Amino acid sequence: MKAKLINRRHFIKMSSSAAAALGLSQFLFTKEVFAAGPNAKKPAVIWLEAQDCTGCTESVLSSLTPAPIDVLLDTINLQYHETVMSGTGYVAESALQAAIQEGGYILVIEGAIPAADKRFMKVAGKPVEDTFIEASRNASAIIAIGACASYGGICRGGESDGQGAEYFLDKHGVSKTLINLPGCPLHPQWFYETVIDFLNGKNINLDSNKRPTSIYGQKVHRNCFRRGTNLCLKSQGCKGMWTKSNCPTLKWNDGVNWCIGSGAPCAGCTEPAFYDQISPLYTKKFISSYYPK
Amino acid sequence: MAQITIDPLTRIEGHLKVNVNVNGGTVSDAEVSGTAARGIEKLLKGKEPRDAAYITERICGVCFTAHGWTSSIAVENAHNANLPDAARVVRNLIAGGAWLHDHPLHFYHLSAVDYIDITVLANYSGSDINLNKIKNLILSEVANPPIDGSYVGPFVPTYAPDQYSITDLDTVVTLVQHYIKALEIQAKAKKMSAIFGGKQPHQSSIIPTGVTMFPNADQRSQFRVLLDEVTGFIKNTYVPDVLGLGTNELFGLATSDIGVGYQNYLAYGCFPEKQGHLMYPEGAIVNGILMADNRDDIEPLITEDVTNAWYQSNSAGHPSSSQQNFNLDKSAYTFVKAPRYNGQPMEVGPLARMMVMANRTSHPSHSHSAVQQFIGLVNAGVKPGVVARHAARALETLILCDSMYNWMDELDSLEASGNTQIRDNNHWDPPRNGSGWGMTEAPRGALGHWIDISNFAIGNYACVVPTTWNASPLDANGLNGPFEEALKGCPVPDENNPINVGRIIRSFDPCLACAVHVIAPNGDMKQYKI
Repeated sequence: MKAKLINRRHFIKMSSSAAAALGLSQFLFTKEVFAAGPNAKKPAVIWLEAQDCTGCTESVLSSLTPAPIDVLLDTINLQYHETVMSGTGYVAESALQAAIQEGGYILVIEGAIPAADKRFMKVAGKPVEDTFIEASRNASAIIAIGACASYGGICRGGESDGQGAEYFLDKHGVSKTLINLPGCPLHPQWFYETVIDFLNGKNINLDSNKRPTSIYGQKVHRNCFRRGTNLCLKSQGCKGMWTKSNCPTLKWNDGVNWCIGSGAPCAGCTEPAFYDQISPLYTKKFISSYYPK
Repeated sequence: MAQITIDPLTRIEGHLKVNVNVNGGTVSDAEVSGTAARGIEKLLKGKEPRDAAYITERICGVCFTAHGWTSSIAVENAHNANLPDAARVVRNLIAGGAWLHDHPLHFYHLSAVDYIDITVLANYSGSDINLNKIKNLILSEVANPPIDGSYVGPFVPTYAPDQYSITDLDTVVTLVQHYIKALEIQAKAKKMSAIFGGKQPHQSSIIPTGVTMFPNADQRSQFRVLLDEVTGFIKNTYVPDVLGLGTNELFGLATSDIGVGYQNYLAYGCFPEKQGHLMYPEGAIVNGILMADNRDDIEPLITEDVTNAWYQSNSAGHPSSSQQNFNLDKSAYTFVKAPRYNGQPMEVGPLARMMVMANRTSHPSHSHSAVQQFIGLVNAGVKPGVVARHAARALETLILCDSMYNWMDELDSLEASGNTQIRDNNHWDPPRNGSGWGMTEAPRGALGHWIDISNFAIGNYACVVPTTWNASPLDANGLNGPFEEALKGCPVPDENNPINVGRIIRSFDPCLACAVHVIAPNGDMKQYKI
């Protein structure tokens, strides 16, 4: 009986992860074909979507270098991802449970988790808070991507009171390595760089808001091409003076442009104060990076 | 009779649950639930009106640009602002780039996998590196069969490809190659849109009263290079794939009644042209009759019913007076409200837009070859169901591709004539009191925003989004939402394998994330992958 369960779990997990990696249909793997294949050796990643807009997933898929298909086929074993995976319902859910039992994966969380009432978000009839905490306990590290997963972002201040990953880890007393990669959305390069560094065992220095200093080390204003010129957008509400990120040098979408490059003021989306404490966006206002929990 | 619950349905944006009752092999009725809420409209109350475009943009990271655009129109309306020509054109190009990313992604990455049998790649003998990686994966699985097959038991029923599954190796190879190529193309379409938008997803340059930049010559030529590549893929790969499958392998599905639904269609239209009309025209079709052909006539007839949604109040009202107060204790089944046009549930999206173009014979879009091609499909027996939605989505993309080049030319001539004003600065600051609405189209359907400004701040804000129309619940008059109606009659020959339910829902391109759980009437969990 026990052996059967293990086998079943193994099958579901492997077939589902293969399908997730290919983005191909889960049900097509039920012709009794089973994986022990290349995916078995690659580091596992579980990607949970809470109160998200899928914008961070879209951003990670907007990378041209590296190409997402190469990362999926060669670098990671993406075991669970609602938007990308083929598997649905119980098979997806079983893959998640099996992966959680095995442990040792990187847990990626996208979107905030409602703190006001668990009923604001359920998947498969289960509050996302419960699923996140369960998955956190066996993770090797947790990467919170985007403003919402990091600090609540857009969702904080709404009726559901969306909060970031750290809020819930603290609430449930789970102590794990947590890396915040805020931004609305996060830049794909921030994601790939952090995952690769982590997998290579590289030391990632984090600031007091748990952001890698290699990415969020300097104020936007400091490296801005408008600084000290009459092009400066300070009077139009630019939050670059108080916002840390490497946007001015990295730029977005393969380096073609960025918010300030297009003439729009920085909205401070990488700061814990984003959005409720940073508003109004287009009016000059002093922002202290502040985020009470 | 069996009741099947699918929760969540994957490969959509957001979180969706579907309950269907199956009677004699077909769905007799369905209940569709949105299972997550953020309360974005309510958090806008008291904020500066201009913030609305930035914040509502974050409602969706897939149809990004659509919300920021619509919200800007609503705020401009309340500010009494006039949009300069250059801003109109730049917005069309930013949004157009986002659409060109969205439609192919929906087909290849969210939908096509419902129609192919990937395991036939075990016989692949070509030299494509990625296909060989996939082939090796499949072969290694075959080489390591399970010791005990019992685990596939009732929980994971063996999938036998059904009549609508493609098993031909060459076709599967081609589609998987295009799946991989489309991943690159969708990223390039986002890159193109970001040149004028600052970044994508979540562009920053569309703001109320205009845009923040007039693209320079370098940026315009960079845009054109990417437009050529993306358009080439759409014309030579995406559209032929969809039409090829629809008229060959899937012609049986195309000519069936599967997923047809009410046949009531609503489009707000979008992409304003310099001549004053919209590239995709607006219109409301009820029972085959074109009831309205402009937004001013459509807007007052929209109501939202919350009888079966977790909100306070039970009476249907116009969105401009809608309340966003949740009531989680209410006996209801979804977070999705029930918008109705003149009391009617309406399908929105590419099929609705195509039906409006087919019916509005004097509108410029009607004579476009893509619309004529769609009419040809209908004349050949294609029903307005699952395949028609994919075909309409692909064909309308051709109209957009052509317009993108026209707008690029228009931008050049605006610069040449010195018309480079991009903002109405005189109406940048909010009025003490005011109200406005904006109606456009997201790639997945009609999108409307309503704003009420009170004492220079947002007094009330309401969005009625495409999937709210399509995934709406049962209303006070006993009318199901369009998904629910389209699911009626859906063949489920095997209760353990309700694959067609997923095909129908995904053909609408819903903006809610989904996966499927099946619950038998006795409460035992059975599981189906859809």
